[in-house]
Amino acid sequence: MEDGLSTPVGTRRSFFVKTTVFISSLIGISLAVPLIGYVIAPALQRRNKEWVSLGKADALPIGEPKAMDYTMTEKDGWQESHATKGVWAVKQPNGEVTVFSPICPHLGCGYRWDQQDRLFKCPCHGSVYDIQGTVKAGPAPRPLDTLPSKIENGDLLVQYEEFKSGLPQKVEL
Amino acid sequence: MASRLYQWIDRRLKLKPLEQTLLDEPIPGGASWNYVFGSATLFLFVLQALTGMFLMVYYVPATDHAYDTVHYIQHEVWGGWFVRGLHHWGASAVMVAIGLHMLQVFFDGAYKRPRELMWIVGVILLAIMLAFGFTGYLLPWDQNAYWATQVGINMVGNVPLVGDFLVKALRGGETLGALTISRFFAIHVAFLPVLIAVGIMLHLFILRRVGPAGPHDETRAKAGSETFYPRQVFMDALVMLGVFGVVAMLAISMEFPLADRADPSDHSFVPVPEWYFLFFYQLLKYAPGAWGPLATWLLPAIFFTGLLLLPFLDRNPDRNPSSRRVVLGAGLGFLIVVFSLLSISLRDLYAVPKRDPSVIRGMALVEQFHCKTCHRIHGEGVNVGPDLSFVADRRPDREWHLQHFKNPQSVSPGSFMPKFPLNEKQLNDLTNYILTLKSG
Repeated sequence: MEDGLSTPVGTRRSFFVKTTVFISSLIGISLAVPLIGYVIAPALQRRNKEWVSLGKADALPIGEPKAMDYTMTEKDGWQESHATKGVWAVKQPNGEVTVFSPICPHLGCGYRWDQQDRLFKCPCHGSVYDIQGTVKAGPAPRPLDTLPSKIENGDLLVQYEEFKSGLPQKVEL
Repeated sequence: MASRLYQWIDRRLKLKPLEQTLLDEPIPGGASWNYVFGSATLFLFVLQALTGMFLMVYYVPATDHAYDTVHYIQHEVWGGWFVRGLHHWGASAVMVAIGLHMLQVFFDGAYKRPRELMWIVGVILLAIMLAFGFTGYLLPWDQNAYWATQVGINMVGNVPLVGDFLVKALRGGETLGALTISRFFAIHVAFLPVLIAVGIMLHLFILRRVGPAGPHDETRAKAGSETFYPRQVFMDALVMLGVFGVVAMLAISMEFPLADRADPSDHSFVPVPEWYFLFFYQLLKYAPGAWGPLATWLLPAIFFTGLLLLPFLDRNPDRNPSSRRVVLGAGLGFLIVVFSLLSISLRDLYAVPKRDPSVIRGMALVEQFHCKTCHRIHGEGVNVGPDLSFVADRRPDREWHLQHFKNPQSVSPGSFMPKFPLNEKQLNDLTNYILTLKSG
């Protein structure tokens, strides 16, 4: 040490050093926890699915698939957007309604209903399904994807979901 | 483990001399609580930089999204209100820390030769900090942000010759809008941070070249020096913890509200600047007529020129306060003026009539009982019965209103006002509200 320059030594020094390290860690942790949580939290949040009304279930013809469009509000972080989705609804003779996702489980094209053959046909790769969604022909690995639906006060409600294409089982995106 | 890792690195990078330079800097007269203000300021600046970066994770600088993103941060993101609170209160705290730091340097005469350059860089850092405050205030794009910035920019317009040009340059056009928010954002998060980082480095570089001033008292200064580490570092750390604790407590207990979304057509909104601009805001109220425009730019110009030139204006080499009465007196005078203006301004702000909770309940009753289907109040409602906008001017008598609400016909024969089922408390609340309906 130079002349006239002093510095604490021994236990006194180690007290200062240890307290400084402790204080820095305290500040660091009290900042790190909220800051990391703040960045990560929205990533862990599940999209909250809403029931959207497609209209009156009575209006559906029995045994005839009907393409139905509806507008839903999608919340993407701070941004809200309105998206129009189309689904296929089929009313069974017992009054229950099956709602199919409009996306072909093979590779994600949009399929259509062939009124003459009474089959759903995908124009992209030729997958064919019957009115129950069962695969009748083509490369499709699984039946048409059904969407959660229910009837409340006569309204047909549906939850929109999307699934990975090309897999033998339904895996939600 | 940590020390072995350090040794491993040290054997390769030879850190010892660096460590000595950084930590064994001599503090004349020994470590002291007097020297913590600069470190506190630096700490708060780092806190601002950190919380600012995190706010940027969600913030979008555009007029159609800025408000939504801040609202999202404040109300939806986990911990978002806390991060924003830290940034808001940190900005105030940094101003306090700079103020105390400057006071200490001023009182101790630490700006004198050979530390003139350090003082000048410090004054520039203060100006940059104020620019941070001004540009950051606009970013939430709420009513306060919009209108306060509008006023701030208009003040720049008073600068002779180049005023108009400066206003346009700041706004990025004729009006405060999309181009303003994006340039304020760029200034706030890119230009100013680079400038201030360079400024801080320069400030510290000069400190290390010239050395700390130490005590103004000769005998204490000659008593010997102490290394910066560990005692001064310990003191600095303790103060940082205290400062952090205060800022965090403020962020937790006094949430910084977001006002309504900026509405350029709503000219009724009265903006309030941040408290550190308030004394100036108050001062402008006293500048009469033609002096007003001059005061808006001339006073800050004189203030900053004076600060920058302080080491050259005050040429007395003596640092001892007892032999610097005139300079310290001038400084004290300045502080008295600033704090008087600040307190007048705060008093006026808080004198804005706060609504009595009973009055608010009364207002709610007016809605609940649909009074406005027959009465008009300040332009709302239908004129079937009398307009009540200034009813308390005509009828200031409390008893009359209480009686009237209980039984309208008893005090106003022939009135077709129905009796409403009001209990005592509701009668009181409604009457309290009615009595506020007067001019002036």
